[in-house]
Amino acid sequence: MSLFFRSKNLTLGYGNQLVIRNLNISLELSKNYEITGRNGSGKTTLIMCISNNFIGNDFNSNIERNSNSVMEIGSIPSLIPKLSLIDNIEYFLHKENIDKKNILNILKKYELDSFLDDQIEDFSSGMVKRSEIAIADLKNPDVLCIDEPKVYLDENGIGLLNDLLKKRSTEGNSSILSSQENSSLLTSIERSINLND
Amino acid sequence: MIKKYIIKKEMNVEFRNNTSLFLITPTMCVLIIVFPILSENRFRIDNDLFLIVELLFLIMFTTLFSIRNPLNEQQLIKELNFASINKTDYFYSKTISELVIFYPQVMALLILFSGFTNTSLNSSLIYICLSVLFFCVNAIMVNLFLQFFTSFNSRFVQFTLIVPIYIGFAILIAPLWLGVNQEISSIYLVMYLGITLVIYAFTNFYLRSTK
Repeated sequence: MSLFFRSKNLTLGYGNQLVIRNLNISLELSKNYEITGRNGSGKTTLIMCISNNFIGNDFNSNIERNSNSVMEIGSIPSLIPKLSLIDNIEYFLHKENIDKKNILNILKKYELDSFLDDQIEDFSSGMVKRSEIAIADLKNPDVLCIDEPKVYLDENGIGLLNDLLKKRSTEGNSSILSSQENSSLLTSIERSINLND
Repeated sequence: MIKKYIIKKEMNVEFRNNTSLFLITPTMCVLIIVFPILSENRFRIDNDLFLIVELLFLIMFTTLFSIRNPLNEQQLIKELNFASINKTDYFYSKTISELVIFYPQVMALLILFSGFTNTSLNSSLIYICLSVLFFCVNAIMVNLFLQFFTSFNSRFVQFTLIVPIYIGFAILIAPLWLGVNQEISSIYLVMYLGITLVIYAFTNFYLRSTK
C-alpha cells in the first residue's frame, strides 16, 4: 500500500473561517476517489490541498505527502491566457519529452488540432477545459484531481474525459473527482468522501 | 536554476501583453520630451536639476514597470504545480527575463532624456551602465520577492511599499552620476555589488527555506 497523501484531523480555512474540520484521509496510489458535498462544503478547498495548490490557512494540520506527480484541473484554469495552445503545451510539458506526432494525435482526439496557434484567451471555457484535459492525457500524472469535472464540457467532452479516466484506471493511476453529487465518471471508487457529514 | 523555457514563456507573454512595453515606454518618452519644455521652456535644463530628474524618471519608470502586471499568488502556485516547476527556478528565470526586458528600456530612456535635454551625466559610460544594471537587478529581485511572499490587495499597496525601497537604491546611484573621482566611484560600485549579493543571498535563503 503506497500512500500519496495522508492527514489526521485536517482543518482548512481562509483567515479564521473554517471550511473543513478534523477530516482524516489517507489516499493510496492507483485508486480512485470521489469528493461530494453541497456548495461551500469545502470540495474545492480539499482538492486544492491534495494537489498542493492550497494557499489558505491549514491551522498547522499534520499533512504528509509523497513526491508523486499530482495535477489539478480546477475551477480556475492553469493555462496562460496570453500564450497559444502549442506554447502552453510546450511550457507545461517541458519535462516530458513527448514526440510532436503524439501531441498532434492527442490534440486531434480532443478536436483541438485546428486551434494550435490560437491564444487561450480567445478560447471558450469548454475549450480551455478540453485543453487542460488533453495536457493531462499527455502528461499522465500519478494523480489527477478534477474539480467539477462535467462543468463546461459538452457530451463529447464528457465522453473523452470518461475515456481518459478509464485509461488511467487500467494503467494504475489515481483520479480524484469532486462534484455536488456522484458524477458516475469513475468506475471503481475506493472511497467517497462526503463533506456534508 | 535558470530555465530557458521559463524565460521564453515570460518573453512571449511580455511581447503579447500590451500594457507594458507598448504603454509604459511611450508614456515615459512623452514625459521626457515634454518635461524640459515645461520646466524651463527650452530643450536644456541645469545640470543639478538634470541629475535629480533623471533619478526621478528612473524610479518612476521602474515603479510603473513593477506594477504593470502583478503576480496572482493562487494562479502562480497553480501554474508552477501544473508545469512541475519549483519556486526557486521560477524566481531566477523570471528575474533574468525581467532584466532582459527592462534593462534595454531603461538605458533607452536615459539616453533619450539626456538627448532631449541636451545635458549629460558627469560619469563614464561603463559606470553608468553598471550602476543602472545593479539598480535593475535589485529592483526586480525586491519586487518579485515582495510579490512572491506578500499578497497585495491592490497596485497602490504594492506601489507604496516598493517606492521607498527604489528611492534607497537610486540614492546609491547619485554619487556615481555626480561625477566623483574614479576611486570613490569604484568603491560605490563595489558597495552596490555587495548590496546586490546580500539581496540575492537573502532571497535564495528564503526561497529554499519555504515549502
